[in-house]
Amino acid sequence: MAKLLDKQRYKCALGAMQSVQAITRALPILHSGPGCAQKLSESIGSSGYFSPNIFPCTSINEKDVVFGGVKKLNSTIENALKVIDADLYVVLTGCIPEIVGDDSGEVVSRFEDADKPVIYAPTAGFKGNNYKGHEQVVDAIVEQYLKKSETKQKGLVNIWADVPYQDLFWLGNLRELEKLISELGLTPNTIFGYNRGIKNIDKIPEAEFNLLVSPWVGLNNMKKMERKLGIPYLHYKTLPIGATETSKFLREVGKFAGVAEEKVESVIKEHEDYYYYLIERYADLFLENRVINKQFTVVSDAHYALGITKFLANDLGLVPAKQFVVDDTPKNRREEIAEEFKKLNFGLEAEVSFETDGFKIHEEIKNHDYHGYPLILGGYYEKEVTDSLKGNFLNVSYPTQDKVVLDSSYVGYTGGIRLIEDIYTVAVQRFN
Amino acid sequence: MSEIRQIAIYGKGGIGKSTTTQNLTAGLVEHGKKVMVVGCDPKADSTRLLLGGLAQKTVLDTIREEGEDVELDRILKEGYGGTRCVESGGPEPGVGCAGRGIITSINMLENLGAYTDDLDYVFYDVLGDVVCGGFAMPIREGKAKEIYIVASGEMMALYAANNISKGIQRYARTGGVRLGGIICNSRNVDRELDLLRAFSKELGTKLLYFVPRDNIVQHAEINKKTVIEYRPDSNQAQEYRNLAQAVIENEDFVIPTPMTQERLEEILMEYGMMELADDYKI
Repeated sequence: MAKLLDKQRYKCALGAMQSVQAITRALPILHSGPGCAQKLSESIGSSGYFSPNIFPCTSINEKDVVFGGVKKLNSTIENALKVIDADLYVVLTGCIPEIVGDDSGEVVSRFEDADKPVIYAPTAGFKGNNYKGHEQVVDAIVEQYLKKSETKQKGLVNIWADVPYQDLFWLGNLRELEKLISELGLTPNTIFGYNRGIKNIDKIPEAEFNLLVSPWVGLNNMKKMERKLGIPYLHYKTLPIGATETSKFLREVGKFAGVAEEKVESVIKEHEDYYYYLIERYADLFLENRVINKQFTVVSDAHYALGITKFLANDLGLVPAKQFVVDDTPKNRREEIAEEFKKLNFGLEAEVSFETDGFKIHEEIKNHDYHGYPLILGGYYEKEVTDSLKGNFLNVSYPTQDKVVLDSSYVGYTGGIRLIEDIYTVAVQRFN
Repeated sequence: MSEIRQIAIYGKGGIGKSTTTQNLTAGLVEHGKKVMVVGCDPKADSTRLLLGGLAQKTVLDTIREEGEDVELDRILKEGYGGTRCVESGGPEPGVGCAGRGIITSINMLENLGAYTDDLDYVFYDVLGDVVCGGFAMPIREGKAKEIYIVASGEMMALYAANNISKGIQRYARTGGVRLGGIICNSRNVDRELDLLRAFSKELGTKLLYFVPRDNIVQHAEINKKTVIEYRPDSNQAQEYRNLAQAVIENEDFVIPTPMTQERLEEILMEYGMMELADDYKI
């Protein structure tokens, strides 16, 4: 029985065109109807050298459905190679060609000898959401472009974390993770954002290991790279926000990479000293403030829900009410992610609900007793319900409407401080 | 002016749907009926006998080459006895979506005004099986309300007929489509008439007509003619006239009751088919 899904927080798999766009000088070539890209391209911060309005698209119509759209795809790729100067061309297929049965892979294989690499990711919307689509894009790079390397570069670590554009903070977060990894004496390698792109993609096979910082998105890519490229991976499920989690993160990465313990501890000490210096200076605000109640709820994808829940409980001593994961997490991953929500300090455990329906989430929020003003961190959808409860609201995840983020980040020690600033900025504005 | 009787003919691939439809059409023409035949098969051979050869450019070929702005006379040809013949056609095998092609064609016929009031019958000759929604197009959206399944005493033909009935049942629940009966295109299988009667009864319908096997049908086909045109005095021509009469007089339209695979095999067993299966040689 079909249901109405209220306030969906993701797009279809073709939304992965944003992941391609986030790779410097990589160009999505869309094999889809003309409306798909238009609907998927509303993200802010997506203009630049390539922007959605210039993505080549086959714009297939009924005639292509009946006779197949492969000729149009062939000519679209051919002409994209002629007129658009990119380093990597990624063909993304929408629902229509996948249903009709266009052999897009075969068409793409005709461009094997092109001057620039052309690869293909099946991203039909019916395959799932853009989190899955993101995985498909990385999978296509691994499967169709990368080859196993005989040589390894010592200390080189590929970092995989946020889904670009879906997560407003993706750029800043990746940069912060790079910084932290560098401080351990390792060399980070990421493919998304400014000045990364194809040269970093080429380095992927030489890495000593892959570091995945995500509860579930990308895990399939790690397994694929382990099999195909012989790269082992460390799966760190929690986005490290604030001192508690970041120190734990550094210790775990350091141990996996064989970094000397003293080195790791000295990095941690330096950061923690400064972190707690800041916390101490504002302790009175945190302790005496009466509008940030002890109970909070995060409504977000698993990535943020888990990271922020741990931060608020472990670093700020707040008490988790129910948390909501809205990214349609694959069912077989839910249990282990729910377990992570139970690993909080002070013997705390957070209950988590994997729910994609905003109406149900809001009903639960409305019916919960937060023992005061609720603190709700979520998408812009949560603003109204939080207002109705006279609560404090911070827009941290998709959809984001009330803030502009260029390269801010909530990751690491600095990111934790930023999040505290943002939360308490909401609090202090309350009676101004 | 009575309503146009729109009839879809289904049945296993190779069972003789096109041959039966065209010979039946020739029979109806002799009764003074105005008939349009719409071939809904990418092979585009549903009107060959009426047109005296594959003289027809298909709707989809026309759209492919000339775009969608076409005139009706480019895709509709007049055949034997004033019958109107259309071939939907399809994409090249292995590419595109033939089902969508059928939908496109029928929509185009409607838009171009092919369904004129002077028509008594429209036949949709649909390929082998209802493999997807597109091939069910003729029985969707209130087009064909009447369906005949061409079958024989061979097991796979009956299996297909039963399967097609499931599709009809699905659309019958929401629309006005009904099964008018089974037409047996005989393959001279043992006890074929009894078997087909029992099978039809189990489906909740009747055996509308039993068309005996006669090589004259093949001769007529080689000469690109219907039997009625090729040998009007032959016994087989009379059989097709009788079939046409049976269609004209038919008033029994039912929602079929398709059977389980087990029940189908029971019926086959009862009429001796399963034992014979041991001797079956390819």
